[in-house]
Amino acid sequence: MSVLRGFLWLLGFLLLGQTGVELLDLPMPSGVIGMLLLALWFLYRGRMNDDIVHVSQPLIAMLALLIMPGVVEIFFIAGRYAHQWPAILIALIVGTLLSVLSSLLLMRRYLPPATEAPAHE
Amino acid sequence: MNEWLSRLASLPQSWFETPVAAIALTLGAYFAGIQVFKLMRRPSWCPPMLIAALLIAAVIAVLPVGVEDYNRGAAWLMLLLGPATVALAVPLYQQLPQIRALWKPILLTLPLSATLAALYAVAIAALLGAPVEILASLAPKSVTSPIAMGLTRELGGSTALLMGALVITGVTAIFGVEWLCRLLRIRDPRLIGLALGINGHALGTVRAFEISSVAGAFASLGMSLTGTFTAVALPLVWHLFF
Repeated sequence: MSVLRGFLWLLGFLLLGQTGVELLDLPMPSGVIGMLLLALWFLYRGRMNDDIVHVSQPLIAMLALLIMPGVVEIFFIAGRYAHQWPAILIALIVGTLLSVLSSLLLMRRYLPPATEAPAHE
Repeated sequence: MNEWLSRLASLPQSWFETPVAAIALTLGAYFAGIQVFKLMRRPSWCPPMLIAALLIAAVIAVLPVGVEDYNRGAAWLMLLLGPATVALAVPLYQQLPQIRALWKPILLTLPLSATLAALYAVAIAALLGAPVEILASLAPKSVTSPIAMGLTRELGGSTALLMGALVITGVTAIFGVEWLCRLLRIRDPRLIGLALGINGHALGTVRAFEISSVAGAFASLGMSLTGTFTAVALPLVWHLFF
């Protein structure tokens, strides 16, 4: 029952997010607003609701499964982008390698080295 | 006898009239994908999800049903993407102490990293002459899928193409982080996790949890912050140019 109660909470915050998106005409997905509102709600309460924690673990573990059905269609419409595939692949592979390199270098430069005990923070 | 055969022939179509067959096919392919992935000794260039998607595509190609029939049923399963996005508030809240302790360096590097993740790909594709529809499908490539799908619809891109881009990006990011960390002698799990989450969204985060729980925590932090930042910034910047 705990999982179902948690699921109801998530649906409630999803609807709240959708309400915010539509009323304020925000250019963002309802889920993101719902996520931010829920994080703010946790902050306000000072702790997390156990029901939500229980349902969030399996849902987050399912993310890869939930992406999958969307990937299937690409094999059937690949022909539509026939001329563009070299550009798309080069952009994705070179672009991702470059962005991995720059984020690693940036963070190595600015992230303080890990200490055994973070005593000063 | 003939009547019986024709009933047998129309069976696949009647299966896909309700979402049951599409959902069963998706779950079955998911577990089969994980099995095949283990048999192939966990290749980092081919995540179980890609194997599963190929299996589904093969089954649909063999059966007398179209990809639209499958999509209609699978949409029921993908409804869960909404609550799953909201659920990301849990890791986000769990990592608040770490965010607070490191807010300055993270604030300094994350928006820039997230911007570069989108910018490099869009710039390269634009230079190679790709039309706007393709640029709009590539721009959210480093963002976790529920946010990315909302974004690409907002920008006018193709969801199917975006999903392909997400998989290629995730696989490249995992490969790139492991390769470049060896090259640059980076062993800090916080750094490896952040790089995986920022560049490789959910796929990178799943990989980071395999490395260590610290890397996983920082990867989900990187993934949620990149998703949030890009969701706010990308539509605003995009409408300045297109």
